[in-house]
Amino acid sequence: MIAGNDKELKLLDKTSSEFAKKELAPFREENDKYPFGPFFETALKKAYEIEFFHATLPEALGGIGQGMAALSLILFNICREDASMGDAFIAFPVFNNPSEIENLAAAEKKADIYVLSGKVEYVVLSGIAAHALIPGKIAGQSGFSFFLVSLPDSGIEKSPPVLSLGLHACSAVDLKLENAKGVLVGKEGKGADYFEQMADRMHVAAGAMSAGIMKGSFSEAFEYTKGRQQGGREIINWSEVRMILADMAVAVANAEMMISRACQAVDTDEKGWQACSRAAAITIADTACQVTADGIQLLGGVGYMKDFGQEKRYRDAKHIQALLGIAPLKKIRFIESMIG
Amino acid sequence: MISRKEIKSLINMSPKFDDMVNSLQSAPKLPKAMVKETQKVIAIARKFNREVVRPSVLGLDLKMHENPNYLPWEFVEKANEWGFYTMWIPKMFGGQGYNQPSMAYFAEEIASECLAMANLIGVHYLGMASLSATFNTRMINKIAREVAAGEKNQTPCLISLAITEPGAGTDVEEVDLLDKGNITCHAEKVPGGYKVNGTKVFISNGHLSAWHIVIAYSDLKKPSENTVTFAVKTGAQGFSFGRKENKMGQKGCPASELIFKDCFIPDENVCLTPREMENFKRGNKASAMQMIHYVVSVTRAGVGAFGAGAARGAYEKALKFASETKVNGKLLINHEWAQCMLAEMYKNIALARLSYVETNYANGIYGFYKNLQSKPAYYYNKVVPSKWFDRFSSMMDKPFMTNLFRKRQMDGQTDEEINRTSGWGSLSKFAATDMGIKNCRMALDLMGQAGLRHDRGVEKIYRDAKLLQIYEGTNQLNRLNLFNCLIAKDHPQAVVFDE
Repeated sequence: MIAGNDKELKLLDKTSSEFAKKELAPFREENDKYPFGPFFETALKKAYEIEFFHATLPEALGGIGQGMAALSLILFNICREDASMGDAFIAFPVFNNPSEIENLAAAEKKADIYVLSGKVEYVVLSGIAAHALIPGKIAGQSGFSFFLVSLPDSGIEKSPPVLSLGLHACSAVDLKLENAKGVLVGKEGKGADYFEQMADRMHVAAGAMSAGIMKGSFSEAFEYTKGRQQGGREIINWSEVRMILADMAVAVANAEMMISRACQAVDTDEKGWQACSRAAAITIADTACQVTADGIQLLGGVGYMKDFGQEKRYRDAKHIQALLGIAPLKKIRFIESMIG
Repeated sequence: MISRKEIKSLINMSPKFDDMVNSLQSAPKLPKAMVKETQKVIAIARKFNREVVRPSVLGLDLKMHENPNYLPWEFVEKANEWGFYTMWIPKMFGGQGYNQPSMAYFAEEIASECLAMANLIGVHYLGMASLSATFNTRMINKIAREVAAGEKNQTPCLISLAITEPGAGTDVEEVDLLDKGNITCHAEKVPGGYKVNGTKVFISNGHLSAWHIVIAYSDLKKPSENTVTFAVKTGAQGFSFGRKENKMGQKGCPASELIFKDCFIPDENVCLTPREMENFKRGNKASAMQMIHYVVSVTRAGVGAFGAGAARGAYEKALKFASETKVNGKLLINHEWAQCMLAEMYKNIALARLSYVETNYANGIYGFYKNLQSKPAYYYNKVVPSKWFDRFSSMMDKPFMTNLFRKRQMDGQTDEEINRTSGWGSLSKFAATDMGIKNCRMALDLMGQAGLRHDRGVEKIYRDAKLLQIYEGTNQLNRLNLFNCLIAKDHPQAVVFDE
């Protein structure tokens, strides 16, 4: 992704790129075995130490006060090698918009706390996190609210990690709540507003992840086609292979441009930045699915095997397309925001 | 209004009527009983899905995630018990003799539930088809009857096909590329047989098969004119299994490495030699390509049926989700945009199915299915009891039977028929498998978070279906084969695989 002449972004570009190559790429296959293999705790701790987690947190809260461009750059570089780590950085890695499909706990106010009960499916990172934000519905109210719950709470039962299409190391669990204590976040019934505000910003981050995966897929395919032979010459010298590579390269270049532009719009609070963020993410997420499929295709049989990174990118790209809600509904919401 | 001469001339203009419409020409010639028999086959597949596949499909995939080296013998034993490994072997070779095109409908049914399990059955017939294409009736009779015996004594006897090499995938499926390719599996002629050295990779069902039909080359400098097809049995000296690939999907069906180290193949297990191929009408090289066309015309239609199955499985899961999930307070199935997506998916299934059905109509009049699909042969095979065929089984061991079949099937097939069947085989392969992927994507789009979960099944189909675009010739190779067979023939200036 384009860091431009910004010194801080350039430094971040270098740091995140080196981290991904050194700490993620060599262990990709091993880390992807989770939950049937160990969790990538060492890499996660190192990422924490380098302060990737705090990139967009304001300095007053102990973060480094960077904007969306910085977060997107980190995600882009990391997802080139392993998108599971990328997902862990997202502030709210949620795959369902509670306004669209109800996946809510029932909340009841008791004195100055709330008590939550019911089942909430697919809460990402809850297997390892200390706290979770849970959407819940207060009886008798329309809309939903967000509650912060403490995961060691005796009223919360966690399922084993849910095996999913991609992002294996960044897994989700189903939560069963029974009179679990919850702290209201913000105001009652305002969950949908908070979700949409968060989604406006985080779409671009999701787009950066997809773009990073695309770039990783293209790089691996490009290198492979220079070495693999067919009919006595390297397959990169067959024009159909070049055409597929060209499609991938053009898509990657466009994705990088879109993300850079969207980040600029978000960080400068440009008029209509929300649409810019969402449009970029919707387009890139969809393109990434085709690019990663082509990435496997160019490697042929070996691209389908775990020995290479392509099959994981294919899964991760489709997985990420579902971030922040059902893909077609994100389009509907986009046009609805224009209709008013 | 129009003379007969004019009609003949106009329907032979490009696109030629014969290339356009296989069904209209084939259907009236088909034995009527094939319809009921095909219905029975579909019903059996659905029963098998209900009783065997559906209850175990996700469990097997999960097990394979946990232990990629696991071999699903319990499923193979079930399929053997249900008679699926002899169902489409002709009675004259000890099988049950169901009409062979019905296998594609069967494949779609099983694939709609699990592509790996469909492959555990289907790949056996890829091996059988390759063996059959040598028309060595003695070897066909020997191996097919072992399969039948394995069914009776509940010891599955599967057949695999070993052709892909570590350095050559596409090259081994196209003789124009073969001589320039990195071919290493050498079958050296020695007294009494061949000594084989080399490695074959990505062999579906390898670790589970008792017999392996292997394509090797007696001269690596000119493999296109020195193709040796032989059968090797698991356990033979000098033959061993190497690694089992850790795949993204179709995990239940192993992709095996086969290693040959000074493996002696006696003449009696050699199905077709370069010398024998010299006697074919087209000569050695062109006959090697004809054999490939002959097999892939049916097996690629089979992969097309897998593609239709994948498209259907994804659609069925999305439809169920849409029927029971409320989105914005209204069932998803009642959102107009979702209805259009489901209609698009339905269309994809129908087109994928039509592609393999139409291909098999071509195979019925011009190719692999031609002989057994003629009314006299079909009814003879259907009505006469197996025991009768068994009494005359030794006839198949006579060299004249091999010669008769080779003359009729290989030399009797015209170039136009080869092009038509192979071109349509490729069309079905890449069209239907692309539809499979398309529907998986749409299903995952519709289902969002729910679709990502392993326990909902659709993410597995997305992983499984990708392999369909790679094996049996990549979809790119198949596009080129279609171009070669159905387009380039009318354009003499067109050259394929030589840019």
